[in-house]
Amino acid sequence: MAEEYNTDTDSMLSVYLYENGQLLEKLEGIILEKQDEECFDDSDINEIFRIMHTIKGSSGIMMFENITKVAHKLEDVFYYLRESHPDDVPHMELVEKVLDVSDFITGEIEKIKEGDEPDGDESKLLEELDEFLSRIKGEIKKQGIRLPKTNKSEEPAQFYVAPVAEADSHFYKIVIHYKNDTQMSNIRAYSATYALKEIAEDLLYSPDDILSNEASSDTILAEGFHMILQTKTGKDDVLNLIGSCETEEIDFEEITAEDFGREVVNLGRDDLDPVAEPEHDSPAPKEEKKAAPAPGDYVVKTKAAGKGKTLAKNQPKQQTIISVNVEKMDALMDLIGELVIAEAVVLQNPDLKVPGLELGNFQKASAQLSKITTELQEVIMSMRMMPLTNTFQKMKRIVFDASRKLGKDIELEVIGENTEVDKNIIEHISDPLMHLVRNSVDHGIEEDVEDRKAYGKPEKGKITLEAKNEGGKVYICVKDDGKGLNKEKLFDKAMANGLIDSSKEITDFQDKEIYRFITLPGFSTKEQVTELSGRGVGMDVVVKNIQDIGGRLDIESVEHEGSEMTLIIPLTLAIINGIVVQVENSLFVIETASIKEFVRVSEDSLIQEPGGEEYLVLRGECYSFIRLNERYHLSDAHEKIDDGIVVVLEHEGTQVCVLIDKLLQEQEIVVKPIPPYVKKVKGLSGCTQLGDGSIALILDIGGLILSEERR
Amino acid sequence: MAEELKDEVVEALEAVEEFEEDGQKGMFMTFQTGKEYYGISISYVNEIITMQPITAIPEVENYIKGLINLRGKIIPVIDVRARFKMEPQEYTDRNCIIVIDVKSTVIGLIVEKIAEVDSILEDDIMPPPALSHKNTERNKYIYGLARTGNTVKLLLEPERLIQQDVLNVIEDIKEKEQS
Amino acid sequence: MKILLAEDDFASRKFMDKQLSRYGECDVMVDGEEAVDAFMMALEDDEPYDLACLDVMMPVMDGYQVLKAIRNIEKQKKIPKDKCVKVVMTTALNEERNVKMAFDLGCEAYVGKPIDVEKFEKVLKKLDLI
Repeated sequence: MAEEYNTDTDSMLSVYLYENGQLLEKLEGIILEKQDEECFDDSDINEIFRIMHTIKGSSGIMMFENITKVAHKLEDVFYYLRESHPDDVPHMELVEKVLDVSDFITGEIEKIKEGDEPDGDESKLLEELDEFLSRIKGEIKKQGIRLPKTNKSEEPAQFYVAPVAEADSHFYKIVIHYKNDTQMSNIRAYSATYALKEIAEDLLYSPDDILSNEASSDTILAEGFHMILQTKTGKDDVLNLIGSCETEEIDFEEITAEDFGREVVNLGRDDLDPVAEPEHDSPAPKEEKKAAPAPGDYVVKTKAAGKGKTLAKNQPKQQTIISVNVEKMDALMDLIGELVIAEAVVLQNPDLKVPGLELGNFQKASAQLSKITTELQEVIMSMRMMPLTNTFQKMKRIVFDASRKLGKDIELEVIGENTEVDKNIIEHISDPLMHLVRNSVDHGIEEDVEDRKAYGKPEKGKITLEAKNEGGKVYICVKDDGKGLNKEKLFDKAMANGLIDSSKEITDFQDKEIYRFITLPGFSTKEQVTELSGRGVGMDVVVKNIQDIGGRLDIESVEHEGSEMTLIIPLTLAIINGIVVQVENSLFVIETASIKEFVRVSEDSLIQEPGGEEYLVLRGECYSFIRLNERYHLSDAHEKIDDGIVVVLEHEGTQVCVLIDKLLQEQEIVVKPIPPYVKKVKGLSGCTQLGDGSIALILDIGGLILSEERR
Repeated sequence: MAEELKDEVVEALEAVEEFEEDGQKGMFMTFQTGKEYYGISISYVNEIITMQPITAIPEVENYIKGLINLRGKIIPVIDVRARFKMEPQEYTDRNCIIVIDVKSTVIGLIVEKIAEVDSILEDDIMPPPALSHKNTERNKYIYGLARTGNTVKLLLEPERLIQQDVLNVIEDIKEKEQS
Repeated sequence: MKILLAEDDFASRKFMDKQLSRYGECDVMVDGEEAVDAFMMALEDDEPYDLACLDVMMPVMDGYQVLKAIRNIEKQKKIPKDKCVKVVMTTALNEERNVKMAFDLGCEAYVGKPIDVEKFEKVLKKLDLI
């Protein structure tokens, strides 16, 4: 039976999911931290025991039996460890067992979250744990320690059954009109309600005093008999139950749960809604909202027994943290983007440029508006920022798994895991990062410890995962102290795979260019395909994913000392501060953060090489010089440098001068991707809509420099 | 002139709406580019707009004219003439942009003149002559010919029309090798 | 098995009655006070209930009060723990704090409404009632 758990409405279930998620995270944290030690210390054992105990307990209550069993078994293992302190516990094996259990439970919890029944088969895992446990027990006996009493476990004595999802309930609004000459329509109405009560999950009707008040029959004849019904039964069956005797017309309408709630309030005119409106003479405990409920809070305070009840939906809920659908956040983000554009449309409206306009008040008001929109952006940005902690946690696990599988002894150092990044970006970097980390474990760190010793490195390999936030960019660096990249090998491989022109020599390339070969599609230097990586696809995908979010990959390596892969990604995707510039008839946006200065220079500070390359000498320093109009073939006219403005741009230490025609304005730019149909243009990272509706292209300084270097 | 065009567009759009009601099979938006009339199945057509200011993108194929701002959504536009490797022509206010949606890729096609919406029966569509030596560039995108009234309409396969040329991809790879 | 059902809402009462009657004799009460009275009576007649299904929102006394009262009576009469009636709360109030309070007051199970019949039966099995 595919049961659905409605995590939105069932707070017990969501508390269960939340708490166990936290516990599992904590568990994994402990394990990965202690994986390299000789054994767990007492406090860890206690903590793991406690975590398993809690998971076992709550899963028991929720009646997720496979989780309960697995957690129970692991709890047993730790019970023995705690009570007997045996030596010689195979630590690595224990660590693996705990991770297996944590994976199993995580998997089951995922299923519950998805609304499925947790139906994973626990028997194999239980067997393994049993086997492990009996070995420990044997060990305990051998050491002559008395076996502790069996961990007596109490089957949970309390159970919670989540309500079946209300999703399959229908809500109907029914109005029955009886023929005008119908006798005792109130009794007929009653029999209809009586029939419906068989199938109703909730039923309210108006007039509600049909039995006690004979005059109600007149009301029914005049206004019809109104009912709202919550049931799992379909429309036809409901109509059958009502029957058609003497009825003139039945208005039948299916409504949503929300409407249903509203109708309940509408129909519950007097005392039908007793909990929401407690009678005045009763001591209304409801008013103390913060107080926990107490027995007696839920007495239905109506005089007549058996009359109407209020839906739980109407209960006041109090929460300080709400979870928001990411789609809604994205929609809000988009709207704010549109707002920023709309603001520009207003503030830069050509109508304002009429000479002689008195704009003092307008300017003041617009400054206020700008301030608010900027704050609005900051708030939504901060709402979307998430620390990289979870992503890095995953990497710890990957290093652990991978190094175990390959039999390599590797330590992972994590720096700056609290660095915050836009949620969208986190989603995009998780896979590439995983790939880089695997690569480091698999290809980076030497297989043979002797190879490491030969170069004077410690036996234990080391991978460093570092994140930092600098100048509006996030740097995530995966560094290993392994064998590093071998330039000759890379070159030969690229040649063999036909990725480079056969007339080229290795000396034609700079180191970085050679390293970049590994990012080409169809390049893999590993002879054998391993389980972890080296399927020949990979690095090119990594690079593509990173480029998609406006980032790039930087590769550094020293042979026999190690390699360093750095992902450089923007802090956020959405809104940047930029300066709009004009070149010929085209508009470009340059991110303000990368602009060093604007200068006007004269022709004589320009040096032209015979090859056509130009350099600009500025205060004794020499910069490469790019004419944007030539670079993008905007016009053939060779423009005089005196007429334009030179912008000095800096990108990661490299400076470059760019010649433009005109500076237009500085403003906040909502970054939109260039439609994917148009192939990636070097040096452009996106486009944007300006205040007047025109489109400007956003310059990607890094890409510009890169493509200039390659020339 | 502009008024007249507007009327045409409105008429064409109304026709689209009308036909949308009863199944879209066999309905074609026809337009003129050069001397020929072309047809494109209206199931691909989102809307028809008048010429817009186009922001050129550097370093792309010459038939990709650039980007337009379609009510806040930025979409690329391609010139059908250029796509068929015909001589470029100055745009006038008769030019129109047909916004099509092919497998969720929204693209504008710049055409010279919108004609009408035509209903073309499956039986009236003939395969293009196999041995046509001229205009090979154009014929790549045509999957059939249809005679309606006294004109022959060349029916376009939009998926092929917007596909990036294989040649370009190869050039791309070559470029990478050189760098 | 002897069952006490306290439920003020007619539709739910009918439904529960039908469900529970499969397992044993079912006494149906419409408010909290009646439920406690019935419980007392059964004890005095030495024919105690095996299972009590209590709605939470009821007139006169709510389900929590009934639960508390039942447990207090049992304590006072020094009834051994394994002989105490098994209490299942049935309600749409399934916020965590409500559930927790019911557990603290000593109920055996808390079943959200609409009732998941299969699981409900599973619970009864776990409680060794069927």
